[in-house]
Amino acid sequence: MDIVIGRAVTWWTILRIALEERLVYRGDFALGTLMRFLPIVTQVFLWFAIFQTAQAARGEDSLNDVTLVGYRYQDFVAYYLLTMISRAFSSMPGLASGIALQVREGEIKKYLVQPVDLIGFLLLTRIAHKAVYYIVAAVPFALVFFLCRGYFVSGWPPLGTFVCFVLSLVMSFLLGFFLEAAIGLVSFWFLEVSSLLFVYMLLNFFLSGHMFPLDIVPAPWDTLIDILPLKYLAYFPAAVFLEKIEGPDLVWGLWVEAAWLAFFIVLARFMYWRGVKRYSGFGG
Amino acid sequence: MAAIIQIEGLAKSYRVYQKKEGLLASLSGLFHREYREVQAVRGIDLKVEQGEFVAFLGPNGAGKTTTLKLLSGVINPTSGSATVMGHVPWKRENAYRRRFALVMGQKNQLWWDLPAQESFRLHQQIYRIDPESFQRTMDELTDLLDVRRLLKQPVRELSLGERMKMELTAALLHSPEVLFLDEPTIGLDVIAQHNIQQFLKFYQEKRKITILLTSHYMKDVAALCKRVVIINHGRIQYDGSLTGIVDRFSGQKIVTLQFAEGHVIDRLERFGEVLEVQTPKAKLRIDRGQVAKALASILAKHTLEDIIVEDPPLEQVIADMFSQGSDDSPFGDPATTGEPIATVVNLPDAKND
Amino acid sequence: MSEHPSYLGVFRTFLRNSLVREMTFRSNFIIQCISSVSWTLMNVGFYLLIFSVAPGIKDWDKYEFFVFLATTMFVNSIVQTFFMPNAQEFSELIRRGGLDFALLKPIDTQFLISLQRTEWSSMSNFLAGAILLGVSLYHLIGRETDPLQVTPLMVILYVFYILCGVAILYSLMISLSATSIWLGRNQTLYNFWFYITNFSRYPMEIYQGTYGTPLRLLFTFVVPVLVVVNVPARILAKPFSPETGIDWALAGFAVVATIGSLVASRWIFRRALLSYRSASS
Repeated sequence: MDIVIGRAVTWWTILRIALEERLVYRGDFALGTLMRFLPIVTQVFLWFAIFQTAQAARGEDSLNDVTLVGYRYQDFVAYYLLTMISRAFSSMPGLASGIALQVREGEIKKYLVQPVDLIGFLLLTRIAHKAVYYIVAAVPFALVFFLCRGYFVSGWPPLGTFVCFVLSLVMSFLLGFFLEAAIGLVSFWFLEVSSLLFVYMLLNFFLSGHMFPLDIVPAPWDTLIDILPLKYLAYFPAAVFLEKIEGPDLVWGLWVEAAWLAFFIVLARFMYWRGVKRYSGFGG
Repeated sequence: MAAIIQIEGLAKSYRVYQKKEGLLASLSGLFHREYREVQAVRGIDLKVEQGEFVAFLGPNGAGKTTTLKLLSGVINPTSGSATVMGHVPWKRENAYRRRFALVMGQKNQLWWDLPAQESFRLHQQIYRIDPESFQRTMDELTDLLDVRRLLKQPVRELSLGERMKMELTAALLHSPEVLFLDEPTIGLDVIAQHNIQQFLKFYQEKRKITILLTSHYMKDVAALCKRVVIINHGRIQYDGSLTGIVDRFSGQKIVTLQFAEGHVIDRLERFGEVLEVQTPKAKLRIDRGQVAKALASILAKHTLEDIIVEDPPLEQVIADMFSQGSDDSPFGDPATTGEPIATVVNLPDAKND
Repeated sequence: MSEHPSYLGVFRTFLRNSLVREMTFRSNFIIQCISSVSWTLMNVGFYLLIFSVAPGIKDWDKYEFFVFLATTMFVNSIVQTFFMPNAQEFSELIRRGGLDFALLKPIDTQFLISLQRTEWSSMSNFLAGAILLGVSLYHLIGRETDPLQVTPLMVILYVFYILCGVAILYSLMISLSATSIWLGRNQTLYNFWFYITNFSRYPMEIYQGTYGTPLRLLFTFVVPVLVVVNVPARILAKPFSPETGIDWALAGFAVVATIGSLVASRWIFRRALLSYRSASS
């Protein structure tokens, strides 16, 4: 019992320190978050122009009658805004490269000596970072969504869908974390992971869906997207919110996401265990 | 002929912006700022003749580097005037910038990832040195400094001493007539320091160029400079020979007595301050005017095997000076240029600071 | 010895030294090339997807727009090759005293500071742009209806306006870097740079309506980033159609904007240096 309490105290301390550290920079944070919506502005204009062109080509009377791959113009904007939320959960800046750096510089020894577990420690600091981020970013996010509420044509989704949305967000956070942690842990075997990380970023950029709704992708490629876990990092939560995925598809999607999450948890754990063994085998 | 460097009432103060953390604070800082006024140089008058090798001494923040930067034209003065070879430095005319060089021991200007040779080539282009004299000067300098074999090695792979030698070479490629050296030997080991001193001495004597040097190492100063300018709190507090400092600022001598009787006599403190007693030796600090009298009265009653009369260690004197030096200078008017004084002083070893 | 250094000679030495430097880290160079080309391919892929579902973007059809995209790649790769590494280095120069050395040299400080480093690997995007341009022009020249005719004048104007665009972006970049003398660090300025240039990557007609029109005016007349790609791209892709052809008033304005930007950035840079020289120790 004491051990459990002791451990809980340790974790809580780590969490609190990380929280305090992040709060110092809150000013930068809030403004930086607002700036991050700027690229969306050009996307909004771009898609408006595309829809206008399509409307003229098809001879439709109203822009609202035009759909591209099942999305109206407003849905596109709403989709981009929603992927900002998914990305806020699933992106892990500096996680993999941080792990690689620690392995390379030998700082990893600290975790072998002290009774703290690397992955757990990183997860907690990450939760703290994210929590502070959400607290500070809530205002700019709320502002932008309020100003853009007109784009959400269908309004709020039903409660059940919303719960699924939240669930998929939480899982996307964990999935993003363990996926990137696994990439970082590769550094136990290959010291230089930046190329690997680059490939990951590139695929993530294109195939997670934060550039465009993945429904747009044509035949052979959409299978690739379905096979990869990347779509859960941006596309899936947004599509759930917009009720593009419903019923059995939704349930199935959530199960697949959970399966991916379980896979990466096990993988990261296993890699850490093997890596540490290898590391101590070499004597650092 | 006019002095090569003429400085009158040169002063530089700058405002330090009290920076705040965070972007919002920085933004508000755009409109409302808090400053602290720092007076780096508070009115310096100085004349340096062609061919002189002058050392600037002073504690950190005394204004030495600021003075060198003013003379290089890197920064503008708040008031006062200066000319170097007839040019006003902060006008930054190309004609002036072609004729001098600045070397800073703590900063490097060579391209880090490239062989020094490539940076030299760039200098050749920038200063428009014709290829022949460029080759000749480079060969001469790199031979003198013994770094010719390192020319093709990336700068990042050189040792600190080798890098400094390359920096010096780069600075001298265009054969400047005036050279400013800011802590050229900082962080170097004794041998590298010595090499650079030897080089500077040789080069200066051969080319008769004018050099202003700041350094923390008394050895540099002792080896190179006949003239020393002490700056503290942005003002000149002394200008003269190195040995003159002791004469001027220390009214005392250190007297070491070795008694023949094999023991030290009692009541030595009536002659001066007793620093150390190690039978049969005793070390006293005695006011300069009292030395003769004290020695006479000791000699009258005791037999001595040896007497050494010497000046207190230079570093000690200078350190005392700096610790006293404040706005109301206890040293009176800055001295005019003095001739080196004949007495030989035991120069203290270089301290690593 | 003449009064002025040979600027061309110095610039050549800059180019050479940078190349020597990049060749000492060859694997790094190759990785850089691959990475920048990959991002570009992603971007092309994105537009391929768009054109697979939509007929066009305003009056730009697929290959016309790819001419636009290739133009963006030319301008950006030139900026990234010659100016970006210097701008990134600028605040570091201030912090480590390199600026002092630059001020000592008998050569224009802005020239020295803004051109001394070259990142040759970014030129890979220029090549990618050339391929894209070639393919697009092939399709435009060979199309059934209204095939494109490329005249020597168009090519000359195209190159000229690309250089104007580069000059405008250079001015913007040097102005932003110069402010780091006042503000210290410039991480935020970089974000600012990317957000602003982000606007220049699209045809200017898409900025329309209540919010779009003011944006278009702002980024045309105040910060003229919209003329950077739009003018040369339109000259090459759709020069002669009366409605959608090049707006010669805009083309004339682009020249004025280029000169204005260069003058303004020169002024800002000098002001910043002046304040550096009277504010630092």
